[in-house]
Amino acid sequence: MQIQVKCSCGAEKCPEWAIIELQGVVEVQPSFQHSLQNLQIGLLCRPSSQENYTFTVGYHELTGYKVALKKPMVVLKKIKYMDVERQIDEATSSSSCVELDVVGFIRHKILFKTRPTTLISGPQPTVKEKINAEGA
Amino acid sequence: MMEQPHSCCKGAEMLLNLQPTSSVSIQYHPFFGPHDDLVLLELDEKLLSDVLYQRVTLRGQPDEDAVLCTKSKTYLVKFVGTSNSVFLIPPADYSTSHESGGENYNQQVPTASVIKVAPGNMELVEVAPRLDKLKSILSENLYSSDEASTAMGDLYKWDDLINKVQASDDELKAGLQALSAVEIDGYWRIVDEKYMDVILRMLLHNSVLNDWSLDSLVEDKVVSVLESDGFPRKLVYHCLNVYGSRVEEAMDGGVWRLDARRVCVHFARGILREGKRKMESFMEEWLRMIPEEIQPSFDLLEGEVLTEKLGVETWVRALSVSSLPTTPADRFSILFKERAKWEWKDLEPYIRDLNVPGLSSEALLLKYTRRSQPSIDAEPVFSAR
Repeated sequence: MQIQVKCSCGAEKCPEWAIIELQGVVEVQPSFQHSLQNLQIGLLCRPSSQENYTFTVGYHELTGYKVALKKPMVVLKKIKYMDVERQIDEATSSSSCVELDVVGFIRHKILFKTRPTTLISGPQPTVKEKINAEGA
Repeated sequence: MMEQPHSCCKGAEMLLNLQPTSSVSIQYHPFFGPHDDLVLLELDEKLLSDVLYQRVTLRGQPDEDAVLCTKSKTYLVKFVGTSNSVFLIPPADYSTSHESGGENYNQQVPTASVIKVAPGNMELVEVAPRLDKLKSILSENLYSSDEASTAMGDLYKWDDLINKVQASDDELKAGLQALSAVEIDGYWRIVDEKYMDVILRMLLHNSVLNDWSLDSLVEDKVVSVLESDGFPRKLVYHCLNVYGSRVEEAMDGGVWRLDARRVCVHFARGILREGKRKMESFMEEWLRMIPEEIQPSFDLLEGEVLTEKLGVETWVRALSVSSLPTTPADRFSILFKERAKWEWKDLEPYIRDLNVPGLSSEALLLKYTRRSQPSIDAEPVFSAR
């Protein structure tokens, strides 16, 4: 079986995606669990001309930096489709085909890996950041 | 800062180009969800253009681990999880299959939306091509002299082999070459050894009859004579390819030189097919079969035969490196079953062809064998770990 890896947007037009990475888990208040769309997680700021960033999630403020990935990544989308012609030719094998489409690439991430500081005052958060118990 | 909403105040572009003293609101994307159909694949820089320019495929059967193949290399695809939260942010114009809704957020505020929290990413590990399967499927139906009656069961064209064997195109071609496979009527076949023996002997017989030099066999003459003896043209060419090489310097092309090693190995295997033989008996028969023009020497049989002393007698038996597994662990396991202890000079021909990306032969020995030295001036000996 062969699965083709395609890039339907074309190699030159393939867009760059981004990653924000935290050592921790973001928790949403129970009443908002089912309406996440457009819900703000937090505010990310770049205070100076350096590649340092702060990320404020609920009561916590994280500090981090933008880093180039050691190895680039691509974002692949699995596409399943029914191939009617194949269905007729290969009666015994599966009639659905899978393709992988490269929808983007990633070269940078904004990484937050230090313990957050707690802000003393601020609005009631609908989203808050929780430090992983194992401190990954 | 932005007077009207446009794509650069949203999405990944916004985030990656965030200016000093600016901020961006990180939100859940309107279509935030598990999106199991979106996966991250980490790869070496040098593979990036192969992927973007559609030069890679995934190969394998549903019950096998997936491998990713470029034109010339094979990589195992592995998932590596993370306990971190990896927020994946697409470019501003990314949309999923649902087209409705989602545009109800304030476009004046710079935002970057998270489409998914990735549980980890796939990564690639370069591996040797899985060619053992190639040999076994092509051996199901050896091409023999009574082809008409035996050509049933599965035969494989190039595209069938691609679907079944986890190897890149180049590695598959090399594998077919190593097996001395030949393409007949579009199907890749391994020719039965006995049939190859018949063709080779006929070629040698005719060389003597017609006074042909084995160093400069004229292709056209050889093919026409053997064809009139009843052999298919394709197989005569195949015989020349298997036992000889083209003489590049020949003026009018189509001149071949028989390879001493390949011819000698062929006859040795024939003699030992029925079992081991005493050295004297083997040598006597072997030297008799080898054509006069070829200078035989026992060294030519390295990697093909093993000698062992039983009492006062020395015996010879066949063990061809081409019959052994291609994966190191299995290879060493069989070698140590054949013989418990090996000296380097005997072992080397049997592991010379092992291909493990990133492991030298010293490293292979360290990993799979135990080295011992009976005394300071004795040869080191290798045995199973």
